[in-house]
This record gives sequence, structure tokens and C-alpha cells, in this order.
Amino acid sequence: MLLFRSEEHIDRWCSAWKLGRGATLTVEQTWRLADSWYRDRLSPDWRRRTVDEAHELFRSLGLVSDFWRLN
Amino acid sequence: MFSDDFKKRLRVKIYELFLADGRCPKLEKLAAALDCDLSDVTTATKQLADAHVLVLQPQSGEILMANPLSAVPTAFVVETFGKAGPRSWYGNCIWDALGVIAMLRSDGRVLTSCACCGEGMTVSVKGDAVVSEPAGLVHFAIPARRWWDDIVFN
Repeated sequence: MLLFRSEEHIDRWCSAWKLGRGATLTVEQTWRLADSWYRDRLSPDWRRRTVDEAHELFRSLGLVSDFWRLN
Repeated sequence: MFSDDFKKRLRVKIYELFLADGRCPKLEKLAAALDCDLSDVTTATKQLADAHVLVLQPQSGEILMANPLSAVPTAFVVETFGKAGPRSWYGNCIWDALGVIAMLRSDGRVLTSCACCGEGMTVSVKGDAVVSEPAGLVHFAIPARRWWDDIVFN
């Protein structure tokens, strides 16, 4: 998961690495994803989310395409 | 297979020492802190890695990632501005770098660069507001179902 200056820079990077385009998020979307994913990580009772729980988290952030499916 | 209680105490101790020392604890230090054998820590960390809770270094078996924190320097420097004063960390990627700020519930910023051209970029978080200077976009190259195929590349 990398930061780029623009769509054009993403395209150039994908071409250099011979990779197709993946998913592109705004910095705001990525912050909300990071906050949702990691805010409870220091809790002693933290556990990995189940696949269904992770899908629900992605869905709550509007990340509903096949790209975000874990299975 | 170690008990869930031991692995829970180990996981908590990893983060506790990481945050206290500002660097990832070695396995020997964890064994001393938990008053157990090094072999217990070595085996339990492998089990946590198998469960995708940690990522280990391939040769030494030491911790590489206690997500969102990286044990080794990366291109994602995170500065946090909590009550204890400014601290500096490394994130594994831009998602994790922002995750460090979220996890520590402080204001902070990520110092990084455009992965294409190398232009310096700073993403700042203050309260719930996030700003990238210059403006940026985040690209996820690998679909979610393949993230753990090669988590270091990802």
C-alpha cells in the first residue's frame, strides 16, 4: 500500500512493476480504514477479525468491490 | 501448541515493550520479561505468525512486523505527538503508518515519498482531519485475498 502524487504516477509505477491497477483510495479513505482497522490493536483482548467481520468493516467504508474480498 | 493465554500475554508484552522502548523487543528480552524459556517465546511467536498476528524475519526469527509497527526502518516514518511528547516510529506501508497514529490515538504525521517519483510527501493527522502535502492517492496493488501471499512486498 503506497502513496502517490497522482493517478498518472500510479500508472507509471504499475507499468514499471508490470502490475495491473489495483484499488485506489483517497488519503481520507485510507485514514478511516487505518483508524477502523488499528484503533483497538493495543487492547489486551484484541483478536484477529473473522473474514465476515473484516468484510463488514470494508463494507462500512464503502469498499465493496471484489478487490476487497478475503476469500 | 501454547495456550491462548500465553500467546495473549506475549502479544501484549510485545506492544508494551515496543512502545516503552521505541524499538521492537528481541525474543530474548520477551523471554526475560515473561519469565519463561526463549524456546517458549520462539515457538509461540511462530504460532502467532502462522495466525497472521505477527510477521517474523526470515533468517533470525525475530519480529519484523507487529502491525502496524515495523521493527526495521522503512520508507514510512511516523511521528506522533502524544501526551508523553514526540515519538518516532516506522510503519510497514501507508495504511500501517496511519494505523500507528490511530492505534496511539494521538495527532501525528507520516513522512514518506511518492512511490513513483520520490517527491517528499507528508500526511498529517490532527484530531480526525487528515491532510496530504502535496495531495496524494493511495494505491493497493494486491487484492485482499492475496495480501498474505507475500506480506512483505504487499
